[in-house]
Amino acid sequence: MNTVKSGLSASAVLSRYGFPIVLASVFVFFSVATRSFLTLANLDDMAHDMSPLIVISAAEAFVVMSGKLDISVGSIAFLSAALASLAMRDYGVDPIAALLIALATGGLLGAVNGAIVVALRVNALIATLGTMIMFRGVGLELTDAGLVPLPEKVRLLGNLSIGPLFVDIVVAAVVLFTLDVVHRRTRFGRQIMAVGNSEAVASDLGIPVRSVIFRNFVLCGALAALGGVLTTLQVGAVTAYLGSGLEFNAVAVVVVGGISLFGGRGNLLYSVTLGALTFETIRTGLNYYGANPYSYRLVGGAVIFIAMYADALKRGRFGQNRNVLVRE
Amino acid sequence: MHVQKKLAVAFLLSAILGGEAAAKDITIGFSWNQKESSLETAWEDYLKSEGKAQGEAAGVTIKWIFNVANGDPARQAANIEDLINKGVDIVMARAEDSAAISASIKAAKAANIPFITFDRASAGAKPTAHVGGDSYDQAFVAGAAFAELLKSKGVTGKCIELQGALTDVNAVNRSKGWNEAASKGGITTVIQVPTEWNPELFRSGLTNALKAKPEANCVFAASDFAYTAIQAALEGAGRYAPTGDAKHVWLATNDLLPAAVKPMEEGYIDVSDTWDAYRQAKEAIRVAIAIAKSEDPKCAADGCLAKGRLVTPQTIGTIDNLWSRDYK
Repeated sequence: MNTVKSGLSASAVLSRYGFPIVLASVFVFFSVATRSFLTLANLDDMAHDMSPLIVISAAEAFVVMSGKLDISVGSIAFLSAALASLAMRDYGVDPIAALLIALATGGLLGAVNGAIVVALRVNALIATLGTMIMFRGVGLELTDAGLVPLPEKVRLLGNLSIGPLFVDIVVAAVVLFTLDVVHRRTRFGRQIMAVGNSEAVASDLGIPVRSVIFRNFVLCGALAALGGVLTTLQVGAVTAYLGSGLEFNAVAVVVVGGISLFGGRGNLLYSVTLGALTFETIRTGLNYYGANPYSYRLVGGAVIFIAMYADALKRGRFGQNRNVLVRE
Repeated sequence: MHVQKKLAVAFLLSAILGGEAAAKDITIGFSWNQKESSLETAWEDYLKSEGKAQGEAAGVTIKWIFNVANGDPARQAANIEDLINKGVDIVMARAEDSAAISASIKAAKAANIPFITFDRASAGAKPTAHVGGDSYDQAFVAGAAFAELLKSKGVTGKCIELQGALTDVNAVNRSKGWNEAASKGGITTVIQVPTEWNPELFRSGLTNALKAKPEANCVFAASDFAYTAIQAALEGAGRYAPTGDAKHVWLATNDLLPAAVKPMEEGYIDVSDTWDAYRQAKEAIRVAIAIAKSEDPKCAADGCLAKGRLVTPQTIGTIDNLWSRDYK
C-alpha cells in the first residue's frame, strides 16, 4: 500500500505529467512573449512543419516499442524520395506512380533492415547504422549530391490545403490514428508489445517473434519513405540534406513523448503528438522570439536530457513497484 | 678560333635556355574527392584553360594528371600516393575529409613535393598553400550592393537573415560579412534564422520569421542552394513575386548556384555574390605557378582566397565564366 501511496506523490506526478506541464509552460511563454505565436495561422504552420516528423516518429515508435531501434529512417526517406523524384524528372513518371515507387522502395529498404536483424541476428542499432550510411551513399550517388527539383505541378502540392488545413497534416493524422488503432486493437500491435517486453517470453507464448520484427521494419521503411515524400513536397526538391539527422529527431520525439527505449511500453498517439509538438513549439517559438541562433541546440539538448531523466525516473519507479509486487 | 668561340657561346646559350624551358614544364597532379556534378566539371575546365593562359604568360607549360576518389578518403590517400610516386611537381587536392588529408600532405612534403589544398582547407597538417573562396567577402559585397539597391529604391531594409550551419566557418563568416555590410548600409536585420544548411529549416524558419516579423521586406540567404525552400515559404506567405510587384520581398543571396539562376533571370533574386569556381581555379593556377617558380604566392593567413563576383538580374546574362549558368 505504501508503494501505491508513493505512486501518487509529487515526484510521481512530475515524472508522469512533467512533460505536458513543461510543454504547456513553454507554449504559454511564447504566446505571451511574442506577438503572433498564438494564432491559428501559426498553429496551422506548426502542424504543417511537423507532419513529416510525425509520420516518421510514429513508425520509429513501433520499432522502439518492439525493443529495437531503426536509425536508418532519415536515409530511407532520402533514398526513396530521391528515386521517386528522379523517376519523374528523368523518365516522366506520373506523380502517383512516383509515390508508389517511393513507398515500395521504403518497404524494400525496411525489409533489408529486417532481414539483417532477423536472419543475420545483428543488433538492430548496428544493422541500421550500417544501412543508414549505405542508403545515403546510394542516394548521393544517384543524385550526384545535388538538387533534384520537383516538376512545377507537383511542387505546388507542398502548400496545398483543404480549407485551413494543409494536406500533409491530414496525411500525418490519418497515419497516426491508423497506427494507434493497429497498436491498441490488433493482434500485430499486441505482438509488438509482447516482443518488446521479452522476446523469450513472447516466443514461449507462440508469438512469431522474428516475423513480427521483420514486418515492423518493413512498415517503418515504408512510412519513412512517406515522410521523405512529404518533406520533399514541402521543400520543392530533393536535396542531399534530406533526412540528415532525422533519425535522431525521430528517436528524440519518441523518447520525449514517453515511449521507453527498452520497449514494451508506450502510448503511440499521445507520445508521438507530445514529442513532436514539444520540439516544434520550441523551435518555432525560438524563431518567433528571435532567439540567439546558438541557443537552439542548447534548448533542444536540454529537452532531450530532461526526457531521458524522466524516463529513468519512471523506470526506477516501475522497477521499485515491480520489486514490491514480487516481494509481496 | 673565332668560330669556335661563337659555337661555344651558342651551345652555352642553348643549354641555358633549354634547361630553363625544361624547368618550367610542370606537372600538377590533381586529386578530386569526387567528380559527380557540373561544378567539378566546370572547375576542371577552368583549371585547364587558366593553366594554359597563365602558363603561356609566365613561360610555363602545365600538364595535368587528374584522379577521382569517389568520396572515399582512403581512396583519395591512395590516389595522392600514386601522384607522388609518378613524380608530379605539385599535388593539388580537394579533400574529402579535412582531417584525413593531413597524412597525404605529410607524405607529399616528405617527398619534397609542394601540396595545395583546393576549396577545402586541411584541419591538420599545413599544406604549402590553400586556395578557396572568401566567404566573408562574398556576404559583405552582396550586402553592400543590396543596401545600395534598397537605398536607390527608397526602401528602408528590414531583413530576415537565413544563416547556414553555425558549426561551418563559411556560414559564420557569411553572417559576419552580411551584418557588417547591413549595418553600414542602413539595413536592420530584424531576425536571424539558423538553418543548419537544412532546406526544411530554410522553409519553416522563413515561414515563421515572415509571420513573426510582418514588417520584414527583405531576406538575406547565406546560400541559395535551397532556393526552392525559400520559394515555398514566400509562396506560403503570399509574397512570392518578382521585382516591380508590390508583393516582392527583396532578396539577396550568396553563391548563385544552379537552382538560383532562373529565379534571378526572372527577377525574384535581386543581388547575389557568386561562389566563384572560375576565380578559384584562376587563383589556384596563380599560386601553383608561383610555387613552381619558388616564389612566395603571398597568401593571407587563412589561404589564398578568391573573391566572388556580384551578379544582378541585369548582369547575369553577360557575366563571363559563370559555371552555374553555363554548365547544366
